[in-house]
Amino acid sequence: MNKLVIVTGASRGLGLAICRQLLQQGYTVLALARTLSSDLNALTEQYGSGLTFVSVDLSDLDNIQPLCSEMIKQHGRPYALINNAAVGYDGVLATMHNSEINALLNLNVQAPILLTKYLLRPMLLNQSGRIINISSIIARTGFNGLSVYAASKAALEGFTKSLSREVGKAGITVNCVAPGYMQTEMTNSLQGNKLESIKRRSPLGRLATPDDAAATVLYLLSEQAAAVTGTTITVDAGSTA
Amino acid sequence: MELEQRIRQTLAQVAIIANCQLTDNITDDTVLLQSGLDSLGFAMLVAQLEEDLGIDPFSQMQIAVYPSTFGEFVSIYRQALVQAS
Repeated sequence: MNKLVIVTGASRGLGLAICRQLLQQGYTVLALARTLSSDLNALTEQYGSGLTFVSVDLSDLDNIQPLCSEMIKQHGRPYALINNAAVGYDGVLATMHNSEINALLNLNVQAPILLTKYLLRPMLLNQSGRIINISSIIARTGFNGLSVYAASKAALEGFTKSLSREVGKAGITVNCVAPGYMQTEMTNSLQGNKLESIKRRSPLGRLATPDDAAATVLYLLSEQAAAVTGTTITVDAGSTA
Repeated sequence: MELEQRIRQTLAQVAIIANCQLTDNITDDTVLLQSGLDSLGFAMLVAQLEEDLGIDPFSQMQIAVYPSTFGEFVSIYRQALVQAS
């Protein structure tokens, strides 16, 4: 299989798990992140030309169009884009600095929309493709201190539904995966009692793992998911049941 | 190949992919929305021209511009190619 998949936020957590599973299934991966983590570097060594690391800061929105043009020129038309990169500042809104609100919305909302805009075009020409946006259960459930993050994820879910209607007839599906709390660096601040309580209250008595969520992404990329579009699949060990 | 001819060829090519029936005689005055190509088809035309010519004049512009006729569309590409060279 030579299908090219572009993954953002690939150096850690869920993005890294997605890259690993993509490579195991024979996809070719363009892994975007600010820095090459040792884990991602290990994947590049293991899979050689199957994975290419692209160092980029997606909060530089003006750079997104030239970045996309260059990737298409160098690697050809992509089969899929996984918008995974995000920041999750927590803090009460009343004291959150405006620069943090801006930075969060730029990276979590504007960057994926612009990436999708420019990487969708070659998919239109191929009349085939997959866009997967990583949301969060926080888009639909409340959590103290995550209002701006929640707004950004709800924005992605709205974006997903309308875009799926726009590009469906071109054979492109657009979906969200909404993980629950996972033990990644992003949720480090949740350690301790809060995390234990989430585990205890989930039907499966555990948290979803990055591998659980990555497997859902892989399903949405597959031929078997060709009839799934405009929806959100929740992977949260039942926390929101 | 002359730019207008190239755009006409690309237009015909994406119309087939987009399953759109173009009107018979497209002139400079033909209103794009009445050419038979739908809005997704125009997105494909811009995408294909970007691959072929290496430019996307609409993204390079500081303000949103939507040409209404085929002649205006060709003119925007002509100007962008001059600026790029």
